[in-house]
Amino acid sequence: MQIAVKNISKDFGKKRNAVHAIKDISLEVDHGEFLGIMGPSGAGKTTLLNMISTNQRPDHGQIIIDGLDLTQFHDRDQAKYRRNKMGFIYQSFELLDSLNVKENVILPLALNRSNKKLIEERFNHMMQLLNIEKLSDRSVDELSLGQRQIVAAARALINNPEILFADEPTGSLDSKSATILLNYMQLINQKEKTTIIMATHDAFTASYCSRVVFIKDGVVFSEVVNPGNRDKFFEQIINMQRTIGGGDYFNVSQNY
Amino acid sequence: MYRKIIKRSLSNMRDSYLIYILACSFAIGVYGILLSMGDNPSLHFALRFWGSFINDTTMIMSSIFAFCAFIYMIYVGGFFIKQQRNEFLTFEKLGMQRWVIVAISFFQTIIVQAIAWVIGITLMLIFQKFMGMLLFYLMRVRFNFEMHISLSSIWLLIRVFFISTLILSIINAIKTIRILQKKKRRPLIKTRWWLRIPAGLFGIILLLTAQVCTLYLFKDMHTISYSAKPLTEIMYIMGADIFGTYLVYFGFLPSILNIMQRIHSVAYSGVNIFSFKYMKERLFQNISILWFVTELSAMALALLTFCYFGYQAVHQNYNSAYPFELAANKNTVKVIREELKKNDAKVKGSYRTDVKINLVSYYSKAEQSYNRQPMTFMSYSDYMSLPKRMRKGNSKINSHQFLKIGFSSSVMYNNHEKEHDIQVKDAPMIPTAKLGYSFPYGSSMHFGPMMIVPNKYYEKMPAEVKDTFYGWDFKKGDRLSHAQMQKLNSYRDAYYMKVNFKSTLAKSSIEVMKKEPNKYEAATYTQAGFLRQGGVKKRFKQGGGFYLFIVALFSVALLIALGSVLTLRILLRDDYQSRQLRTLQKIGVEESEIKGIIRRENTLTFLIPIIFALIQSFVAIAMFDFGRHISKNIILIYGGYIVLYGLFGLISFQVSWRGVKQKFNL
Ligand SMILES: Nc1ncnc2c1ncn2[C@@H]1O[C@H](COP(=O)(O)OP(=O)(O)OP(=O)(O)O)[C@@H](O)[C@H]1O
Ligand SMILES: [Mg+2]
Repeated sequence: MQIAVKNISKDFGKKRNAVHAIKDISLEVDHGEFLGIMGPSGAGKTTLLNMISTNQRPDHGQIIIDGLDLTQFHDRDQAKYRRNKMGFIYQSFELLDSLNVKENVILPLALNRSNKKLIEERFNHMMQLLNIEKLSDRSVDELSLGQRQIVAAARALINNPEILFADEPTGSLDSKSATILLNYMQLINQKEKTTIIMATHDAFTASYCSRVVFIKDGVVFSEVVNPGNRDKFFEQIINMQRTIGGGDYFNVSQNY
Repeated sequence: MYRKIIKRSLSNMRDSYLIYILACSFAIGVYGILLSMGDNPSLHFALRFWGSFINDTTMIMSSIFAFCAFIYMIYVGGFFIKQQRNEFLTFEKLGMQRWVIVAISFFQTIIVQAIAWVIGITLMLIFQKFMGMLLFYLMRVRFNFEMHISLSSIWLLIRVFFISTLILSIINAIKTIRILQKKKRRPLIKTRWWLRIPAGLFGIILLLTAQVCTLYLFKDMHTISYSAKPLTEIMYIMGADIFGTYLVYFGFLPSILNIMQRIHSVAYSGVNIFSFKYMKERLFQNISILWFVTELSAMALALLTFCYFGYQAVHQNYNSAYPFELAANKNTVKVIREELKKNDAKVKGSYRTDVKINLVSYYSKAEQSYNRQPMTFMSYSDYMSLPKRMRKGNSKINSHQFLKIGFSSSVMYNNHEKEHDIQVKDAPMIPTAKLGYSFPYGSSMHFGPMMIVPNKYYEKMPAEVKDTFYGWDFKKGDRLSHAQMQKLNSYRDAYYMKVNFKSTLAKSSIEVMKKEPNKYEAATYTQAGFLRQGGVKKRFKQGGGFYLFIVALFSVALLIALGSVLTLRILLRDDYQSRQLRTLQKIGVEESEIKGIIRRENTLTFLIPIIFALIQSFVAIAMFDFGRHISKNIILIYGGYIVLYGLFGLISFQVSWRGVKQKFNL
């Protein structure tokens, strides 16, 4: 077990109009697991990911990664930890407008002051792999949403993070790009034992996971484990989505 | 709902608005104080001497001040509209009518302006008394400053408020209309290196020539007395500085960052990859503002130097004209002592010195003419026993050297030359004499130049006329009444000396006369009977104090305005710029590193103008450099300026960091 989340909760806002984004969630993630988090909009998926990845502090509870209680860390140490071990694909991409695509992608390596040769090597590798070599000198302003998402993914993956957090990584992608990205994530998950935690609405995307946790209104509702067969797993996920209800919230896979 | 929109945008930019409002209300307060001082009865009563001068000066000063402040408000007020650009465009996309958006910006301006005026007027009410007392203190006037605001001042203030606010609001509304019409997002700035690099190089050449020219100016100021050359040089230096600075900013500020950004080994390590580009973008936006602030700072510094040296020159002239509060010679000392005894003046110090008057002849290099005249001689030890202030403007001498004290023909008395071969009647020739300009007992006590000679020389030399000078310092003035002064008036001239010049000095002689000769002949000299500071001192202090007050007020106001322009420029980031800092934090850049970026931005923005401004105001020092002992004070003034400036930088860094950090915790 690599990540242990113990009874965390998080509120937003002040007394009157407080939102209980996360009420009481406990989770355990093994080393090399590919965990999916599903749930309707506003269920608290992004908030949960943000807390596990130390971007936000929980109001209560503990987050233990590799035996270290990260909630006890100082901000500065959290930032260091985050930079060295984690990669992120944010729902809102979080690309830097001032930089071009290449600079955005190599940012994590540059921040770690890696040598130039390694940077070039990794960069070319990632761009080839995700099939976006053509974009490398473009400015972020000019990219389409889907292009931005794949660039954000390239940035997250370039320094081989130990833990990858992906929030809706395929939300704006066409099925081909989505499949390429998901296959790559699966590859690094299996080959390099990268732990991946991914939040998604999409049942097809979720079917790449080894386990999917459903949350609703800030608590864990249930979970489904991949039986080893993707089609069967996909069906189970769809069923669970129906059970949770509010089917109108879901964009049931456009790939199906 | 419109009320809500206005309220929200006001609270969104509250840090920036706060600085703007404070700067504005400071300006308004100063304006109000200046205005109300013009017709303050206690000021008029205290300064009867100056008549309508005070009223006119405050009127002119406050108008100039108001004009500058107004320009500042137009300029800076525009920042806020620019800041809301995206918001306005979104409103329009959502179907809000154009005139509504324009009205929103119009009323927003009115509200901000009204708040600034309310605070400003309050400041004026609170500080009027304080400023008045400060003014009185600086003018050495012992009066109670009464608070007073006349109805006409109030009426004027109200009119100024309405008109200026209306104009500002209309201008901002027009700016909003133009934003809505153009719509184009963030225009991409073209780099155009082929233009920038040569322009920057040319700018450097201009700046360098300006510095070289300054060195020449230094030299010319001391050697050439009346010529158009220094003036042409000054004009050239100013022009070259102003344009050169702009070209250098335009050409090099972004280029340097661009080059560093191209060097991947530097740029690809740490946050540099981001910060270079970020800084470059910000610099592009701010070049003209940096330039503007640089030139104005240089001007402010030059003005300060100018005023300081001007004041010093007048002060020193005055002090060398009246080193004692009261001075007399042997003919008048008795009468004056009696008068002093009558009114119980408290003598703090009294001095007496014997002098010999003799004839001399020499060739004066400065005047390029051959001089024959009487000269007063004083011995070295007598000279050294007088108070130090008498020797302030003179070269230092030892007991074997000669010192010739003369009237300085210009303010540039930093003359290191010496006088040579001075023949003295019936005494050895003086081969070299150092020069000075401050006369012991005051310049008016002497009819001609003076010579300090070694004791032995003095003892041996003959005298055509012998005299003794007396000088007094008092506690709280000499207390001579008007009637006493009138009585003393008939002693103003002690005696007259008619010189009969013959072919040689030895044959020439001086004839002393008690009565004034009927007609002034060329060779008749008058020895003054006494010399008194009296009313001159008071007037001098008043004028000087008023002058200091205005200059200080102006330079402080200018400093505040310039500082706040820079601060606001730093605070008002475009939306996407501050979002980027947040993004950096999300992908694991430490807070301290982001803080470092902001610190660097602040340092650059504040350091560049002050350095260039200091280099440029060097000219002002060049023009007025009198001597080593004064330069120390000017360094102090400049130092103060830098410290205040730095304080502004520090504040804007803190506020700016606070603003960024607030967004982190969302
Ligand atoms: N910074 C914030 N301030 C206030 N409320 C917030 C904030 N971030 C999230 N929330 C609230 O917390 C709840 C959970 O939000 P969260 O973004 O985690 O949902 P989500 O599951 O990621 O939704 P989606 O599928 O739309 O991404 C929501 O009700 C949201 O309004
Ligand atoms: Mg989300």
